[in-house]
Amino acid sequence: MTARAGLRARLPAGLGLNLGVLALLALLVAAPLMTILMQTLDPERIGAWSDVLASPLSRNLFWLPALNTMALGLGVAAGCVLIGGFLAWLVVMTDMPFRGLVGFLATLPFMIPSFATALAWGTVFRNGRVGGGGGLLEGMGIAVPDALAWGMTPTMIVLIAHYYALGFTVIAAALATVNGDLVEAAQMTGASRRRVLFGIVLPVVMPALIAGGSLCFAGAVSNFAAPALLGLPVRMQTLSTRLFGMIEIGQVERGYVLAILLIGLSAVFLALGNRLLAGRRSFATISGKGGRARRFALGRARGPLTALALLICLVTTILPILLLIAASLAPMASSLFSGWTLHFWIGEADPAFARGQAGIFNNPQLLRALTLTVAIGAVVAFLANVIGILVAVALTRHRLRGISEAVSQLSFLPMLLPGIAFGAAYIALYGAPIGPLPALYGTSVLLALALTAAMLPFAVQTGRATVAQISGDIDEAARLTGAGFFRRIGAITLPLASRGLLASLLLCFVNVISDLAIVVLLYTPTTPLLSVLSYRYASDGFHQFANAVTLVILSISTLAAGLATLLRGRNRPWLSS
Amino acid sequence: MITLSHLGKTFGGAQAVSDISLTVPEGAFLVLLGPSGCGKTTILRMLAGLEHPTAGEIRFGDTAVADASRGYVMEPGSRNAGLVFQSYALWPHMTVAGNVDWPLRVANLGREERRARAAEAMEMLGVAGLAARYPGEISGGQQQRVAIARMIAPRPRVLLFDEPLSNLDATLRVEMRTELMRVHRATGATAVYVTHDQIEAMTMATHVAVMNGGRIEQFDPPERLLSDPASAFVARFIGTPPANLIPVQAGAWFGRMPDPALRGATGHGMVRAEDLALADAPGPDTFAAQPVEVVPMAGRRLVTGLAEGQRVTAVTDLAGPVPSELHFRLPPAPAAIFDPKGNRLS
Ligand SMILES: Nc1ncnc2c1ncn2[C@@H]1O[C@H](COP(=O)(O)OP(=O)(O)O)[C@@H](O)[C@H]1O
Ligand SMILES: [Mg+2]
Repeated sequence: MTARAGLRARLPAGLGLNLGVLALLALLVAAPLMTILMQTLDPERIGAWSDVLASPLSRNLFWLPALNTMALGLGVAAGCVLIGGFLAWLVVMTDMPFRGLVGFLATLPFMIPSFATALAWGTVFRNGRVGGGGGLLEGMGIAVPDALAWGMTPTMIVLIAHYYALGFTVIAAALATVNGDLVEAAQMTGASRRRVLFGIVLPVVMPALIAGGSLCFAGAVSNFAAPALLGLPVRMQTLSTRLFGMIEIGQVERGYVLAILLIGLSAVFLALGNRLLAGRRSFATISGKGGRARRFALGRARGPLTALALLICLVTTILPILLLIAASLAPMASSLFSGWTLHFWIGEADPAFARGQAGIFNNPQLLRALTLTVAIGAVVAFLANVIGILVAVALTRHRLRGISEAVSQLSFLPMLLPGIAFGAAYIALYGAPIGPLPALYGTSVLLALALTAAMLPFAVQTGRATVAQISGDIDEAARLTGAGFFRRIGAITLPLASRGLLASLLLCFVNVISDLAIVVLLYTPTTPLLSVLSYRYASDGFHQFANAVTLVILSISTLAAGLATLLRGRNRPWLSS
Repeated sequence: MITLSHLGKTFGGAQAVSDISLTVPEGAFLVLLGPSGCGKTTILRMLAGLEHPTAGEIRFGDTAVADASRGYVMEPGSRNAGLVFQSYALWPHMTVAGNVDWPLRVANLGREERRARAAEAMEMLGVAGLAARYPGEISGGQQQRVAIARMIAPRPRVLLFDEPLSNLDATLRVEMRTELMRVHRATGATAVYVTHDQIEAMTMATHVAVMNGGRIEQFDPPERLLSDPASAFVARFIGTPPANLIPVQAGAWFGRMPDPALRGATGHGMVRAEDLALADAPGPDTFAAQPVEVVPMAGRRLVTGLAEGQRVTAVTDLAGPVPSELHFRLPPAPAAIFDPKGNRLS
């Protein structure tokens, strides 16, 4: 008893917890990355670097895909800042009607997986160039140029339609903190509207624009679904599709090198963004009580701008879903609204129809994929949030020099890692047996581990928010009664945090079941997942089936996301007037 | 000179300010004093040109800067007025020097002139040493000084302040009061200062407008507010401690202690804390109260008791422990009498 107490007194409080989460993060995040790096540095394989970077192959292997990736990233970032910023400005700063509706709709596209939007694009703009039927426009007798059907342009548009929601959220949150007094203080000097806009408003919101832009950039360069569905058919490669191709054809080392380069590219840009954001020019309002928010009157532009905002929202949320529904029923996308049949959903295999493919609910793979996807989604959401809470408690209640920084960095690192590179790293580490442990490749354990690691930044962030809500005093009051750590978590922290936690679980679940980039490398026929199934159908040209599977994913995630919204309440500060 | 005549402002039907008329001379320090929500900020923003009056007129000297009857409003930038916001409203992306300099740039002053004026303003407020820092890197008190330096650098003739000290801690507040008066004297401009703190009003103002519910209750120099409150509202609001308003009923204190000095009035008799004494034993002119609190102040003690549900405070030389029952002795006559609506009777 006394010995134990003496030992406790000498060790800093929370050391065990900190070391525990550090070890967990090392296994989940650091180890796969180290492995992928070490493997490419192995003397026997180091040649992969020169193959990729400086050989006759490297133009096609790396430089062209890298160029495409950069162009895509910059284009998407610019588009998202423009559209997201425009909507955020309307919702936060002006007297536009339907602000609540637009503010809600503008956050939705991020909930719709990018392969859903890409498929919806195809149903309208596809042309006959790569075989298979044309889309709705061709059916109406309008020739669709290749540039609009395939390659860079549609990929960029689809990604903007997906990621502008991210830009909107970041920019709207930042604009909501910009104090109206700043603008009025500038007006008092007699400055013209233009001068106030360029001298004060833009510089003040610039950090938000940069933050939003760099997140969208990182998202776009690591996206796999859109370039794979819209670019690969015409051999437009990005780093992520190239990386996928290399690993699929067994040139694993080259794939790993590409993964490292892709991580490097997105890290450089996120770091650049952070650097511009860093330090003292923060947009956060400085002290002092704010004035009443004053909304900018749109005057005569009110009607047209409202219409434009609603149009953008509808075209990126409801329209793609409607198109997918129609396209999952119509035998030919070129005549989207005729000959509707449920064959693609529930039909028996029939050699005369759809090359003998049975409807998705008659595909034994689908039912397995459905159960596995939901199960993995639930397990990952649970694991990630448990770790998220532990990390949050370690970071907020028991900060320890050195360890806490490592914990915090490691838990946010997956944010910088493109999903497909992450998948590659997991194959590199857990694909082969480690000592007595069997290889995990082809098991759902591997999928669950990789997805858990990928969800950590999100889970830790919401974990910190929930833990922060519960003041340290409450926990300390329980500590004074002599309750131990796990007792306090169970009796105090969890009950108080349950609402926020449940919402976070559901959102994690949504992210997991709509992920394609991470799982596309880890999936095997024994572990089918809905998103991969949809991707397989689409790349084999069975678009109706792909659409139907995508709709299954969308219905599950809409249910979960709706539930999460209910639980969270209307937590959108920028909508309050 | 600032003149407001019949100034009014409604927000979508809700009357925020009505029928405000007053005049202060050049170089005056006008304080708008009143509880939260009484319309002080609205008046200040109309003076700044950030809000348009719905009735009445505002003149700076001979110039009308806003006239609701003609629908005329002069732009904020043309009024030669500066405003210190309650939130300070420092531009976070500019250094301290940049904040002070920007208005001078907008005014198209030459480089040398700008440098001299910015330096002078920062010197005057003691923030020259912080010139290269960003607002996020300095303390609240320093931000306050920068906001004032930024306002005075273009040398406005009218200085407007919206509760500038409300975010500072107590010591800093006292220090900044002195500082503000110094800046006001040095610039010779006319100041309009909004606050809910009567001590600030009493120490700084040459003129005070006590406001209540969007109207002026009394417009006078500070001493007159103390010596001659125009309404029960003013009497309760002003003074440290504020005067006691003791209920009277048909010429009797508390309705049971008749006093010819009350002249049969019903309402409240005003008795200043320094006119109220503590008696050792009950008498014909005393009333009993339970002790509530004792505050030492300037070598004397403020004793507050509860008499018939009413807090009553006296300034006393009471030494030693406080007795379990207090007896307050009334003065020969109240300093003022108010009717039940709060209007002054005598
Ligand atoms: N922009 C506005 N829209 C609607 N009501 C307002 C607005 N500004 C002020 N008010 C109302 O006018 C009244 C006076 O407000 P204000 O001048 O800010 O008071 P004070 O500064 O004395 O606290 C309050 O009732 C307030 O709610
Ligand atoms: Mg105010």
